Amino acid sequence: MPIIIKTSSAGAGEWAIIELQGDLEVRSNQSMHDQFIGDLYYNKYGQPILIIGHHILQGREQKLDKPFAVLEKSKTNEGQQLLNITNATLEASALNATAGAERTLLDDTVALEHKSRQRTEYTVRAICTKKLIFKSRPKPIIANVAKTV
Amino acid sequence: MKNFWRAIAEMELEDMEVDENAPHRYVRTAEDVKAIVKHAKMDERQLTQLTQALYYPGAEVVSDNLRLLELDEHMLQQIRTGQTLHFKGGLHEKVVLCTDERTYDVKGAEISNSLLLVPELKFAAATSTSPLKSPRTGNANTSLERSLNDSADDDLEVPRTLEQKQVLTIFHEYFECREIRPRYRKLGELLQLTRYSGPENEYCIERKLLFSFQQLLDTVQCSRAQFVEGLNQYRALEFDGHIRILDYEYEYRIINLMLGVISENSWALDEVEREETIYALQGIAPEPIVAGLFDVYTKPSDRCPNKFRYQESLVARIVAQNILQPGLRFRSEEFMCTWQDALPEGMTCKLEYLRGLGILDREGAQPCVRSLAEEQLPSNINDRMRALFKTKRKWTMDEMEPYIDCFTTPTLSVSTLLAKHARSLTEGGIRYFVSKH
Repeated sequence: MPIIIKTSSAGAGEWAIIELQGDLEVRSNQSMHDQFIGDLYYNKYGQPILIIGHHILQGREQKLDKPFAVLEKSKTNEGQQLLNITNATLEASALNATAGAERTLLDDTVALEHKSRQRTEYTVRAICTKKLIFKSRPKPIIANVAKTV
Repeated sequence: MKNFWRAIAEMELEDMEVDENAPHRYVRTAEDVKAIVKHAKMDERQLTQLTQALYYPGAEVVSDNLRLLELDEHMLQQIRTGQTLHFKGGLHEKVVLCTDERTYDVKGAEISNSLLLVPELKFAAATSTSPLKSPRTGNANTSLERSLNDSADDDLEVPRTLEQKQVLTIFHEYFECREIRPRYRKLGELLQLTRYSGPENEYCIERKLLFSFQQLLDTVQCSRAQFVEGLNQYRALEFDGHIRILDYEYEYRIINLMLGVISENSWALDEVEREETIYALQGIAPEPIVAGLFDVYTKPSDRCPNKFRYQESLVARIVAQNILQPGLRFRSEEFMCTWQDALPEGMTCKLEYLRGLGILDREGAQPCVRSLAEEQLPSNINDRMRALFKTKRKWTMDEMEPYIDCFTTPTLSVSTLLAKHARSLTEGGIRYFVSKH
């Protein structure tokens, strides 16, 4: 029951990744959907600058050593099983060949049964070859300090 | 570092909580941008013209449906050319990823950093109308250069533009791939159950356990190209729409008859005719079996067009397998003599052909050859090591290689594996490996 990853030479565009150290968090459990995060600027040297709230971050543009493909799963969520299985280490260690054979056979028949229900596939939506990485500490923006002390 | 972000996000929330209850969506305006640039004391002339305002993913995005997959050169090139990739694995197997040619182990990697995936985000070069400046190189003329540039910038003041960009999802995990060797074991185990030993024995075969090419390809954890190669290694052939391997004795018998056709026709070893061979075996074995075996065992002749020659290594192996039944051992010279005599004239037996079938044991008073079939050993490396050292106390690396080879990966060689799972010692200038415990 192989799960297909479809790719189309034309369709896969280039998307960007912005890497932030840590996590964007909010105290309340308020939904952040569609909310504004911050502004992204570039200076004339190509350095990215990100302003989030009262903080300014300076980063840099970096080519990814190993590019990423963005995969999107379509139809049903049963296919997730497969990726989750990576964590479960269930290498069938067959002590003798016949027992091992029976087990794989069983897996296989189960797999064949699944085949009818599970039509999960992945599509490569885009490729990411570059990222903007912000790994320095954010600096606070100090506004309007009185000029005379 | 995490706390920093918490602090930031809070601050940001305060800024935005203008209207708590209404499903209000704040949209960044050009004025806001102007204000914040000033606020942050950034020199607008030092910035490119475009500001991109970032937003959290929308509620409609099912982030669980999106995955980041790290690619190597080969995978990237496959995707770029529109090839299809496959995830493969049964219920109790670790999933692998296959291109048409290669197989990869897939592993989830969690990271503490956040990866914000932003479609259509512009990188620096795309936001500037003039080429980007190279980072300061020589310190001496920097100030001069900058003052010159600054004055130039003053002249052509381009208005700031604003684009709204939505983050599609935020990842804290990606999948990394490591190229591995094809996993053929399941193929062997499945084929093993239905060995073909002639039409008269077919009634014993459980029909449910017969598989077609496609069924096997779908379940065996390797790429298509590797699968074809694997079938060849197992000397599998297609019979009646199913992939089959033969019972050793039956295979030996048929091969022997096919080799007999050579002397009957007084052919040279590289003058073997395919049609003639198949014709000669009519009525003795089904044609697809003879034809299939012929294609597995022969290579086109270099000397005569449209003629073939049997591969010495394959012929020698099936003969050796017939002599060296499981559990048997022979005095080395005796074995080599018997083996050589059973081969057609012009072919020579070589110890290396025994690879994965048997071993030469020099430990006793008389060197002997004993059967040790790779395919019958445990598939787990720890268990296999134990089994190997139980069979023979000390091994050289070359001796062990056929039995360990299936565990190697492009980054994990036989010697690395042995360093981990065995102890090495040197005796009389020869390096041996013995059990760790």
